[in-house]
Amino acid sequence: MLECRDLTAGYGGGVVLEGLSLAVGRGEAVGVLGRNGVGKTTLLRVIMGLLPLAGGEVRLDGLPIHRVPTHARARAGLAYVPQGRGLFGELSVADNLRLADLARPGIDDALGLFSTLAERRDARADALSGGQQQQLAIARALRTRPTCLLLDEPSEGVQPSVVSDLADTLRARVAETGLAVVLVEQNADLALRLCDRLVFLEAGAVAETIPAEAARRDPALIDARLGL
Amino acid sequence: MTGADLAILALDVAGYVLILTLVALGLAIIFGLLRVISMAHGEFLMLGAYLVLVVEGAGGSFWLGLALAGPAVALVGLLVEAVVIRRVYRRLLDTILATWGVSLVIRQAVTLVFGPASHSIDLPVDAAVAFPGFEYPVYRLFIMALSLALVGATAWLFFATRFGLAARAVIADRDMAACLGYDTRAFDRATFAYGSALAGVAGAAMAPLISVDPQMGVGFLVPAFLSVLVGGLGSIAGPLAGAGTLGAIDGLVARALSPVWAQVAVLAIAVVLIRLFPKGLLGRRGRSP
Repeated sequence: MLECRDLTAGYGGGVVLEGLSLAVGRGEAVGVLGRNGVGKTTLLRVIMGLLPLAGGEVRLDGLPIHRVPTHARARAGLAYVPQGRGLFGELSVADNLRLADLARPGIDDALGLFSTLAERRDARADALSGGQQQQLAIARALRTRPTCLLLDEPSEGVQPSVVSDLADTLRARVAETGLAVVLVEQNADLALRLCDRLVFLEAGAVAETIPAEAARRDPALIDARLGL
Repeated sequence: MTGADLAILALDVAGYVLILTLVALGLAIIFGLLRVISMAHGEFLMLGAYLVLVVEGAGGSFWLGLALAGPAVALVGLLVEAVVIRRVYRRLLDTILATWGVSLVIRQAVTLVFGPASHSIDLPVDAAVAFPGFEYPVYRLFIMALSLALVGATAWLFFATRFGLAARAVIADRDMAACLGYDTRAFDRATFAYGSALAGVAGAAMAPLISVDPQMGVGFLVPAFLSVLVGGLGSIAGPLAGAGTLGAIDGLVARALSPVWAQVAVLAIAVVLIRLFPKGLLGRRGRSP
């Protein structure tokens, strides 16, 4: 599904990712954890084409996509929910969802994912609460019918009940459609609820991978690796 | 001043305001989407006027020239975008310098081909409409209707179509729009071409009313820029409000005193309004350049 090999990237002269490799299979959710500055967000931006790659390659369904522009990667099946959600704040909930696929009439499928969105379909996106905004961002990303979803800290600023709701919705989508998920998080709760594997980054590369099931049984495994 | 004089003055001012709106709208769209300050906008207007001259010279009608002005200047806009503008995106000062260079090239090229002298184009319609107490030229009324129709069509395009929704998304957040599958480069090209085409149509429409010469664009560029600054960005109504305010002042002062005093008044009031309303009379909060 998604394969990243020997990714090297950074900002200016500084290297953030240094030979990072990661593979995510169909119907698999992988949590990428690590301290601030280890390259979690950079990894997603590189996969999406928002940051140039200095070395390595990204493949989606076996096809190299690291040389094509961002919009072509989105059309190939990647969807991205950035940190901060990336909503168009002046547009309504309905228009944000329409933008995910202008050719497809009706947005009821996306509104149906989260009940609060349907109630607020005509509200401006920037008038929603943090949790509703995250729901909207995820509903919009899913409306693009992605094969691989990249999520950057979706639990940030969101109350626990909504995080639980997000996890259930995404888990169901993964099971139903074979969606692959790469979840970047500082907070391990959502990763534990959603993911099959947890990948720990250090200094721009994968330091260790453990089954999420093991961490669910013993949460101290995560604390030890994050130095908490 | 009689009632008839006042009505004629009001119609003259309205005509100027609407043409100015058309030119300012092109500038505002290009700046709003691309963050490019197009110093070549006046030259695109001038190219529209010269296209009418060429078409008439080749035996075609004025109306054919007017119809071709938009598409032809859009093509020039596409070429300029591909050769120059795309290399300076996200560098505001460089866009000013680059488009200023483009304006010099276009102006000198036109001077080389057509000479520095001014040309006149006959009014395509000589008739006048009779109002109570006065008559008013049909062609000037036509220009008003054309400008209104194009401003309305632009509003429809950006606020009532899928293209417009996508364009507003690209304006708000280019990266996120790309992440949703929108080819932002295609929007760049289309926007620059469309904004340029509006200037081209305005130039072609005004050609029979003013002298057509290589310098004619400058006379519209400055008031159009001031209209955008005074009216504000982020809506179609902004440039309209700016052009309405400055066009009315220009027309009234020119009639009461002289065109020179009108320029002074427009500049002075623009400075005051920009000081009082930094985001424009109808400006919205948006990204800073």
